[in-house]
Amino acid sequence: MLPYIFRKLLSTIPTLFGVALIVFILFNMVGGDPTYQMLGRHANAKQVEELRHEYGFDQPKYIQFGQYLKQIITFDYGRSYATKQPINQMIKDGIGPSLSLMIPSFFITTLLAVSLGLLVAYFRGKWIDKLVVILSVFGMSVSMLAYILFGQYFLAYKLGWFPISGYETAWPDRLQYLLMPMIIFVVVSLGYDVRFYRTAILEETSQDYVRTARAKGLTESRIFFKHVLKNSMIPILTNIVIEIPLLILGAFLLESFFGIPGLGSITIDAVHNSDFPVIKAMTTLDAILFILGNLATDIMYTLVDPRVSLK
Amino acid sequence: MTTQVAAVEVIRVVSSEKAVRGRSLWRDAFYRLKKDRIAIFCLSVVGLYSLIALAAKFGWIASPWDKVVGAPYLAPSLDSIELFLGTDIFGRSVFYKVIQGTRIAMSVGLVSSLISIPIGVFFGALAGYFRGWVDDLIVWFYTTVSSIPNIMLLIAIAFIMGKGITSIYVALGITAWVSLARVIRGEFIKHKSREYVLAAESLGAGHASRIFKHILPNVSHFIIINLSIQFMSAIKSEVILSFLGLGVQGQPSWGVMIDDARLELSRGVWWQLAGATVAMFFVVLAFNILGDSLRDSLDPKIK
Amino acid sequence: MSLSKSSSFISAAFACWMCWGSMGCTMKSKLEPSNTLHLVAEEKIKGLDPIYADDLYAGTQVSQVYEGLLQYHYLKRPYVLIPNLAESLPEVSQDGLTYTFHLKKGVLFQDDPSFKKSQGKGREMTAEDVIYSFKRLADPRLSSSGWWLFDGKIMGLNEWHQSAMQVATTDYSQVVEGLKALDRYTVQIKLIQRSAQFLYSMAMPFTGIVPHEAIEEYGKEFINHAVGTGPYQLAEYSPNSKIVWVKSPTYRSEVYPLEGSAGDQEAGLLEDAGKSLPLADKIVIQVFVERQPMWLNFLSGKLDTTAIPKDNFSSAITPNKELSEEISSKGIRLTKSPSLDITHISFNMSDPLIGKNKLLRQALSLAYDEATFIDLFYNGRAIQAQGPIPPGISGYDPTFKNPYRQFNVAKAKELLAKAGYPEGKGLPNIEYVTTADSVGRQESEYLTKIMSTIGVTLKVNSYSWPQLQEAIKNKKAHLWSFAWSADYPDAENFLQVFYSKNASPGPNDSNYTNLQFDRLYEKSLTLSESAERTALYKKMVSLLVEDCPWIFRSHRLGYTLIQPWLKNYKSNDFDHGHYKYYRIDTKIKK
Repeated sequence: MLPYIFRKLLSTIPTLFGVALIVFILFNMVGGDPTYQMLGRHANAKQVEELRHEYGFDQPKYIQFGQYLKQIITFDYGRSYATKQPINQMIKDGIGPSLSLMIPSFFITTLLAVSLGLLVAYFRGKWIDKLVVILSVFGMSVSMLAYILFGQYFLAYKLGWFPISGYETAWPDRLQYLLMPMIIFVVVSLGYDVRFYRTAILEETSQDYVRTARAKGLTESRIFFKHVLKNSMIPILTNIVIEIPLLILGAFLLESFFGIPGLGSITIDAVHNSDFPVIKAMTTLDAILFILGNLATDIMYTLVDPRVSLK
Repeated sequence: MTTQVAAVEVIRVVSSEKAVRGRSLWRDAFYRLKKDRIAIFCLSVVGLYSLIALAAKFGWIASPWDKVVGAPYLAPSLDSIELFLGTDIFGRSVFYKVIQGTRIAMSVGLVSSLISIPIGVFFGALAGYFRGWVDDLIVWFYTTVSSIPNIMLLIAIAFIMGKGITSIYVALGITAWVSLARVIRGEFIKHKSREYVLAAESLGAGHASRIFKHILPNVSHFIIINLSIQFMSAIKSEVILSFLGLGVQGQPSWGVMIDDARLELSRGVWWQLAGATVAMFFVVLAFNILGDSLRDSLDPKIK
Repeated sequence: MSLSKSSSFISAAFACWMCWGSMGCTMKSKLEPSNTLHLVAEEKIKGLDPIYADDLYAGTQVSQVYEGLLQYHYLKRPYVLIPNLAESLPEVSQDGLTYTFHLKKGVLFQDDPSFKKSQGKGREMTAEDVIYSFKRLADPRLSSSGWWLFDGKIMGLNEWHQSAMQVATTDYSQVVEGLKALDRYTVQIKLIQRSAQFLYSMAMPFTGIVPHEAIEEYGKEFINHAVGTGPYQLAEYSPNSKIVWVKSPTYRSEVYPLEGSAGDQEAGLLEDAGKSLPLADKIVIQVFVERQPMWLNFLSGKLDTTAIPKDNFSSAITPNKELSEEISSKGIRLTKSPSLDITHISFNMSDPLIGKNKLLRQALSLAYDEATFIDLFYNGRAIQAQGPIPPGISGYDPTFKNPYRQFNVAKAKELLAKAGYPEGKGLPNIEYVTTADSVGRQESEYLTKIMSTIGVTLKVNSYSWPQLQEAIKNKKAHLWSFAWSADYPDAENFLQVFYSKNASPGPNDSNYTNLQFDRLYEKSLTLSESAERTALYKKMVSLLVEDCPWIFRSHRLGYTLIQPWLKNYKSNDFDHGHYKYYRIDTKIKK
């Protein structure tokens, strides 16, 4: 097992390199020079030059790329151009708010989606199947932006059910601010998950062993709960595991509108400000988490399903 | 629509599969799809939207959309069709903007799919067919692309290309091909060693012939399924791009209308938001359900 | 797992939230003193180091804790400088070059662990601190955005800046001829040439006085600490969402002004005259990047004051510019005040197409309909501009009408034909650059429409803010919209943006070059306020009007809404430290 994990880890290096290369090319081409913004409206040419030198913008591109690779290895991206904050600190501060929004949202969504997925798969083709699928698709057919605007205006301001926006670090207080964004998250993402889990379970019901079991005379509910359920847990768990690392990154629309100081809003600010160090850090972090998610899935497969070889 | 419980249905499907053996995959699928009334309804909705989009494109309806039809921010009224959904900041008809927005939305869905599908099929087919270093390279490439957050890619491409609808097409097209490539690759690996391909090879069919003439038609249903999903997500992504200031310039789009509502809603101007949201809702819903039905009827795995 | 289980989980969670929520409220009201200000920052805060406080939002926060030698009188208009950390206004030498400041004695820095010698007790602020703080603005390693205040103005400081570039670490002990501490409480500043505007720089957030111990202790992290002499001390700092200030226990004794301008007495602004400052015990600043939540929070009483976002205007203000019934019934007051600024469209004068064709610029200027724009985008909250200088500053002439700013399509077409492009024929597309956001998009739609009336086609390119600046500072675009607001109440601040030596990347982003203008500008710098100087300003404005490097658009009016319980609010263009005067009437606010 260990050599397998090690080999998998090694194989992520080329991917990370590719990510670094693409991010560097894309954001160097589009960047927008942050110098002018950093110096304010009274800057003169000499000061612009000094600052560019100070930050190494005048270095050849390949040296800048080399420095970026070094940053990835040491995970030290220095400071944000826009806020002058150390980036590691920004990330550390942003993880808490993002997770406190995303973990409960994800937990509720998954719980609901798996239950509903099972329900509709069991009653496949019946009216309850159609109803649940259509209702969950209803949710995802409206833009999240529309939910946010509507929720803040009607539910929060007009009806006063929730605070309009805000964030509190102290715990019991924090929850009231997170509730509306959580609900929006669940409504928007439920549809996809329910259908995904439904399909995963249905794929299982058409496997050969189900026919065999049926031929052996097992009852339908026994087949469903004993065999189908157990086996369809693999794709379900895979989907869950792969999403978990990405929760850290937060949800940028929800965070900007509800004033939650998480990683999502940090990322969007960075893009708006051409804050290249933050963009690099966040993109790399994201890629690493994504790769980790994949790795965890692979490992889980080998644990759950003996047919997957450890070559 | 059937009323049997799952197990009975499985048996029914199995037996009906026997009955229709000999018919092609497509005819078989069509047969099953036709019986799904909800799917047919959704298909009609999509058709209607396409018609509206075409009519708007040729200026038969809702044209010119940028004509001033009344005072700024008039509330909806039934006085005239132009004022049906009120007016925007410049006194233009919101109803016309919704109609013209249909044109933008459908074209964003269509063009971005036309970009992403050939790329996805091309890379997926090459990787799955040739394996070896070609496969390694392509898999490396799409793993890399999919490891970069989609939103970052979208923003970067939209910025590089400049603003405008072309860059939206390209940005959405370029970010969406990975999942299709993955599926096509998997299918090619499976099909490559099937009897019919081996038979074709022994009859002297070349690589290109085997890829395009033999295997591709047998995996093409994945393209259709992908198309409906891609269409929907492109329409939804356009809203997010508009929020980020990367939306369509100088033309009415649902995304821009919803983004405008960010400033307008608290002054009581709800009609731009409502118009665009409702218009978008039905077409996205239709594509969603259609995608499911297509998968159910086309994907042999869950017959 | 069943459906009923998960739904009962949700209802349980909901019940928990309800009780947590109400608990939260009661806990909060126990913790928070009743005279707490709840205010807004409309952007995320860039940090609390004064030398980077170049925007309003950072400037305001910095000014709660750091103070300069001078400040503006809170109530008097036109603006008057009064002492802050200085004991009195400085003595100025006969030649107008040497300024001598006497500092207040016994002013303490707030307690902070970085004062190791005194076990965390804040020490007295002295003349050396002033010298140190001013040198930081000039330190090339810090790249302050306030260096322009002193650049080329103080004797020996540019040489110090140069020599600091050559060595590994900046040497603050190296003496600068023009910045000297004569004794513990006396600072002497020597200028290179007379400058009528110099004193204003002593009241800007950039020149707040900082202790060297804190900077040595925190290094680059200093931006997240606040160790000043001001009325408030930092209690909580999350620059992206919330900042909390509490009254500093070691703040010296300062009092609310005893006199104001005409009308202040009647407006109740002198009720607290002579009371010791600050009046509020705590300030909670919330950061709102999006307008909708900010406005809704204000209406529900969670904020004490707010500017009215453009699109909430009609729901708040009736057509005759007064408060709507819904809002005034809550006791909310409205203040209107002209802001010292100008919005404008810049022509790139270094562009061969736009810059060389004066008639073309004049034609575009004539075709630009600002009145409609003000109605649509500012809800009528602006005055049409005739030149660069806003009302309220000497040099503004209320009777002057700019011949090229009287909206006239026929005349615009005539000039366009004279410029060589009858009905726009033969004119290449003109590139207008703007920011990629909702407002930028709406404005560019308006501009495109306007220009098409005379046959001119605009090509709109929208960018992120840094990209936009890059395009402009590298002289790439044709047209763009900007606003310039005053750093200090002097017309010079508006005229410097046309001085050729300030061309891009400097503030003269239209790259206007006119030797006659330059000469007049240089001459005006040495003059203090006088009829002679005002005459010079007028001459410079008339050059600008004829050459048309900008389409002068408007001077905006600030509309601010104030909750009934907030007392002593007076709108102010410069005094960032005004929160110390605000008071919450706890009888009105329950």
